Amino acid sequence: MEINKDPAFLDTQMPPPGLVNLFRVEDALNLARANSLWPLTFGLACCAIELMAGGASRFDMDRFGFGVFRPSPRQADLMIVAGTISRKMVPCIKTLYDQMPAPKYVIALGGCATAGGPFKYPGQYGILEGIDKIIPVNVYVPGCPPRPEALIAGIIELQKQIKEGRTQGTMSPAAVADSQDARPAEYRDAISRADFRKPA
Amino acid sequence: MTETLVAQDEIQSVARQCLAQGYFLESFTAVDFAECIELVYHFNHWGPCQRSCVKVLVPKNGGSPGAWSTPSISSIYKSANWFEREIHEFFGVTFAGHPNLKRLLLPESSEIFPLLKSFKGEPKGADVTQSLKLMQEDTREFKTQEAVSLTQKNKDYYLNLGPQHPSTHGVLRVLLHLAGERVLAGEPIIGYSHRHHEKMMEIQTYLGCWPNMGRLDYVGAMSYNMGYALLAEKAMGLVPTPRAEHIRVLMTELNRVSSHLLWMGTFLLDLGAFTPFFYCFDDREKILDILEMATGERLTYDYFRFGGVDRDIPAEFAPAIKDFIPEFKKRLRDYDKLIRQNIIFEKRTKGLGILTKENALAYGVTGPSLRAAGVAQDLRRDEPYSLYPTLDFQVPTSTDSDAYSRYWVRFREMEESLKIISQLVDKIPAGETKLARIPKNFPKGEYYSACESARGTFGMYLVSDGTLNPYRFHLRTPSFSNLNAIVDMLPGCVVSDVVAILGSIDIVLPEIDR
Repeated sequence: MEINKDPAFLDTQMPPPGLVNLFRVEDALNLARANSLWPLTFGLACCAIELMAGGASRFDMDRFGFGVFRPSPRQADLMIVAGTISRKMVPCIKTLYDQMPAPKYVIALGGCATAGGPFKYPGQYGILEGIDKIIPVNVYVPGCPPRPEALIAGIIELQKQIKEGRTQGTMSPAAVADSQDARPAEYRDAISRADFRKPA
Repeated sequence: MTETLVAQDEIQSVARQCLAQGYFLESFTAVDFAECIELVYHFNHWGPCQRSCVKVLVPKNGGSPGAWSTPSISSIYKSANWFEREIHEFFGVTFAGHPNLKRLLLPESSEIFPLLKSFKGEPKGADVTQSLKLMQEDTREFKTQEAVSLTQKNKDYYLNLGPQHPSTHGVLRVLLHLAGERVLAGEPIIGYSHRHHEKMMEIQTYLGCWPNMGRLDYVGAMSYNMGYALLAEKAMGLVPTPRAEHIRVLMTELNRVSSHLLWMGTFLLDLGAFTPFFYCFDDREKILDILEMATGERLTYDYFRFGGVDRDIPAEFAPAIKDFIPEFKKRLRDYDKLIRQNIIFEKRTKGLGILTKENALAYGVTGPSLRAAGVAQDLRRDEPYSLYPTLDFQVPTSTDSDAYSRYWVRFREMEESLKIISQLVDKIPAGETKLARIPKNFPKGEYYSACESARGTFGMYLVSDGTLNPYRFHLRTPSFSNLNAIVDMLPGCVVSDVVAILGSIDIVLPEIDR
């Protein structure tokens, strides 16, 4: 068998693999992750009612495999930020986010979670203008509030991203160091699970 | 409505008299003027409305916020406790004799008094800096409570229920003081959904306030639309067209049914029954379809306008309602069999969360929770507005004043709403749905009006200075007072009952936090 060494051809191929190539394993894992998203039961305001409607009889999110709402963040891997983020609520959202196991995904549902929505005006004192200022967001769903169909479309978009490897999910804690986290600094600041295993 | 101005040190004796005569504190707010802060108390009576407004002037005397002081009435009216904390944090008025005068809706470390006219807004990017600061300091509060629980083994301890908890209907946090599983005391901590509606409306035009009405109580937004329309029509002297009146009442009652359905589904979900949730949402979707035909929205309705409604109903609107009514009546019979005669439901709710008449008066409880305590108070009948005087409907009451009777009152309210809908659906007159000319602003003055929302009395107090924006817009929301009343319902029950009690009073958090 002859090896094609034409650089124009090589450029179109995958990067040269190491000794063991784990790309396919990651793909298989992503397929599993995408098809078993467990959202966190978590609502902030109006959008939460549409989130409930999405899970109830007519729209039935279970059809697509992401209707397993978990009340505990430790069992969930998808946070749907549904509603206006008041500043008083920010520490709670961050705690919930940090408690979720990695890899974790975030959907900003509605105008408020995306950028402040109707409650954003110059000089406002009560809300945080968009959840992406404190935690990374994978998919934004517009609307005030978005219809349940829009939410379902948003989650399907997230599934696509995961399957195609466009997002790896977030491994890191939120943007700010967690003061409740009692682990050593090198563990706390590690950006991936592989980094946790590094000797101190 | 009578209006009296009393001196600062007389307010306590006035409040005592009011309580003795059976008045409850409906609304209590403040307005910032150049020389003084004006405190506005609205007292109301059960039964036929006899509203009286009492005002107290707190002089500023050139001092800074926090230095202005006035006597507290929280020892007389329990509902004043939260009202005074709210005024304290938004206007900087100190209430002498208040037991727990700290911030209610804003984070405790806030240093702003946002509803003062001298507050000019925060700089750009302040939302992120304050959020980051809050993240750092938040842990202290939780840790001190945790430390108490660990050191006192087998004794009393504290438990945080919420703000993220599936059964708190949003972002309510209840700090429970427990001995074993028995609740010694519970304190609701609110403000996790504070969206500065009142400040926002001060910088908007009057027409621009409509979207806020849809987002206050998003489950029953039509009643809030109705409230604002009534206030505007009272102030501007407009008379809505007959067609618009009919559409308004139909919409409000349909929305009331859908609100009660959502409550019924989630309340039973809280108690562990999963099936009714799906049944109720199925029926609710049918109502939303009908409402969507006319409004184009599913949830946060922004449909009414001054003197009319935004757009006309389509031709298939009335036939859709006529199809829905018999279908839903059959479903109500199913619910009755499924739920009311269910032994588990009875055991979980009977005798639970008793609200006595004295407490209902002291806390200013309104709506179905009050009617379940045996008081037939309903503004649709007691202070008739719109088409309600011409309609035939009952005000359902119950005497047990427990969680079960609150369920039963709401269930029968759905039947009464259906009765109203079927009286009106055939009689929608032809004609315009909007007035040709409407003023852009309210005439100078102050206005108060109230209507019956799905959760109780929704009152609005508006001060207009004749410009295009409101000078002060206060919203008296029913769940605010209703939630306060659980402080006296919780002691003695177990943790799982806390969830049932919270579910039974039907709260919507963004309406409480505003």
